[in-house]
Amino acid sequence: MKHYEPKLVCFSCKFGWGYLADAEELRDRIKNWVPIKCSGKIDTIHILEAFRQGADGVLVLGCPEGDCHYQDGNFEARKRVYLLQRILEAYGIEKERLKIQLSVDPEGNTIPQIVKEMSDAVAKLGPVRKTRDRAKASSVARR
Amino acid sequence: MSKTESKGAARVEEAIKQLLPPCQIKCPINEDIQRTNVLISLLPEQPERAKDQIIEISDYLYEKNPFFNICGYICGLCELECNYKTKGGAIRRRLLKRFLSDVYTEHLSEKEEFGVVKDKENVAVIGGGPSGLMCAYALSKKGYRVTVFEASNRLGGALWLIPSYRLPADVLSTTLTNLVRIAGIDVKYAARLGEGKLTIEKLRNDGYRAVFLAKGTPYPRVLTFDGEVVEGQDLSGVMYGHTLLYEVSHGNIGQDYFEGKRLIVIGGYNVAFDVARTARRLGGDVTIVALEAEDKTSRDGIPADEEEVTAAWEEGIRIVYSRGVERIIGEHGRFRGVSCPKCTSVFDDQGFNPKFDCTDCLRLEGDTLIITLGQVPDKAFLQREELLDEKGRLVVDPFTLQSLRKGFVFVGGDVRRIGFMVEAMKEGLVAAESIERYLRGLDMREGRKRDYEGYGIPVRKSYKPDVEVAWIPPEKRLHFQLFEKGLTLKEAREEAKRCVTCGPCVSCKACISIGFEKSLYAVEVDVERCSGCGTCVYACNYDSARLTEVEGNTVSTTDMFKCKSCGMCVAACPSHARKLVDDSTEQRIERVLAVL
Repeated sequence: MKHYEPKLVCFSCKFGWGYLADAEELRDRIKNWVPIKCSGKIDTIHILEAFRQGADGVLVLGCPEGDCHYQDGNFEARKRVYLLQRILEAYGIEKERLKIQLSVDPEGNTIPQIVKEMSDAVAKLGPVRKTRDRAKASSVARR
Repeated sequence: MSKTESKGAARVEEAIKQLLPPCQIKCPINEDIQRTNVLISLLPEQPERAKDQIIEISDYLYEKNPFFNICGYICGLCELECNYKTKGGAIRRRLLKRFLSDVYTEHLSEKEEFGVVKDKENVAVIGGGPSGLMCAYALSKKGYRVTVFEASNRLGGALWLIPSYRLPADVLSTTLTNLVRIAGIDVKYAARLGEGKLTIEKLRNDGYRAVFLAKGTPYPRVLTFDGEVVEGQDLSGVMYGHTLLYEVSHGNIGQDYFEGKRLIVIGGYNVAFDVARTARRLGGDVTIVALEAEDKTSRDGIPADEEEVTAAWEEGIRIVYSRGVERIIGEHGRFRGVSCPKCTSVFDDQGFNPKFDCTDCLRLEGDTLIITLGQVPDKAFLQREELLDEKGRLVVDPFTLQSLRKGFVFVGGDVRRIGFMVEAMKEGLVAAESIERYLRGLDMREGRKRDYEGYGIPVRKSYKPDVEVAWIPPEKRLHFQLFEKGLTLKEAREEAKRCVTCGPCVSCKACISIGFEKSLYAVEVDVERCSGCGTCVYACNYDSARLTEVEGNTVSTTDMFKCKSCGMCVAACPSHARKLVDDSTEQRIERVLAVL
């Protein structure tokens, strides 16, 4: 069987993740990485759009519980992820394809590792196949 | 590699609409406290990497406050108003500043001079204490040629009276020497105004266009009872606390000077505690007699800081509360004891007006009496210079600090009103602003008054306790080395992270400084799309998103003074009615998704 490498999109909060690292260097190590000021700023639309564009998984990295610079952005993000997992499942997209982790790593060294772990898990699921067209259609309708 | 920026968009703006975090309002010079807290919380874990960033953060602080590394040891006024105070203890801002200071003081001697071209008028500053130096610093940065006339042979004034177990002498001297070097301030030592031919008039004739008089309070206040000077203050064994601190700071007193002596210190302010704790360190057996009551919360409560009282008590100093001193008892010209009637009330509605019950009189025996009731200015000099009114009070406009007798003279600092170091610094800044307006022929008052309004505390689901302040145990700290331990990098990061950033973004901009954002984005509401559902109001943690009526329709708005540009309302809005102007996040996401 041909080696399959899933496409992962990683959103991360700037206050907790990788802000001390050399951004360019870290970008080379993490494919499809989008640092955002607060994980609470990540819209469900952004996540759905990622799947629509062909992502096999989406990872959200937020600050540890109680450490959000904007009070509860990380909790908002987590809530959103949990709800979205249910919706994705309804469309046949396994909930393991969307993951949130609330922790902290200013140097960002652990991010490639976390991405790799999730990537391995998603690889076992294989690509999002059956539902891609349907998701595309429904997402277009929403816009 | 992370670094902080303090130019362009990353500079804080003067608070618009006068909203500031409460700590910053409490600080007389409105230091950018929130910004520093956020930047400290984002420091790297490795000390070596953190160091460069600490210097960057400190350079920015230094611009506004060249004394900040001293404040880190002795001030902490801001903590009194911290919103976190009731939630687990104020953010230990003083220790956070001391943490910066511990790195920055070493760096100071390498710091480059500002190199401002001095093409404006000559200004004379009389007195090299915090007030005079602050004024000199501010004017010098604006291009004035400033000369400080210092009566003694060292700068710093009353700062030298702070015992070195609280403020190390090398921190103080490094700060002072480098301050005048970096800002390019001329200093004339042993230049006591009012002595010999040196008068204000002479300065004017020598080409100084304005004078800032900050001579401080060089003389001790004598002990009085019921309006009369108490006799016996000339006995052998009676001294003033101010004198003791001065001599100790000059190294003129041996380390066992008070060995085996019983000392009585009169006074209830912090300085009295400085004196008592200094005397204790010199081997004395010390008792403090204070007019005020033990209960700090009452009107007559002791004014010294709780920390001072605790530390003194730990070090074995007895404190006798609510007692005045009516008589000094001497024998063969030597001090023997004091007679202390019960003080029944210190203040009444008119102010300081102590009442005593002389039937309840305590007699205390001792070998030395140290009177520490404050200091007074050199009235004779002020009189000769005609700066007083017929009642002997300074005639100064309290708003501009301009003398009402001589327009080119400005008066501030302790000489005008005794206060904390940072209050004297503030007066220096006010005087600098006034002198600039005076010399440029501008209006002395217009646009200067600022009434700030404080922000409430943002809500958290949980609050964290403050970092524990570590003191060397009392039995091991009876020396003149620092008795308080500074924060480690880890502790500082944790403590700074507790700050819930009550203040508005314009007075912080830490996120821009560290490069998280390019500017503070404004939230724009598309009223055509907005259905007035109020989801944004629920999502907003800062009471910024609100609903209002526009032409009969309910729509949402954003109060930009409260908005933190976090974007949570944008993400929450179900109808895409909200967006952050100029924010490139959407495009960045699109770019990444496009190459999938």
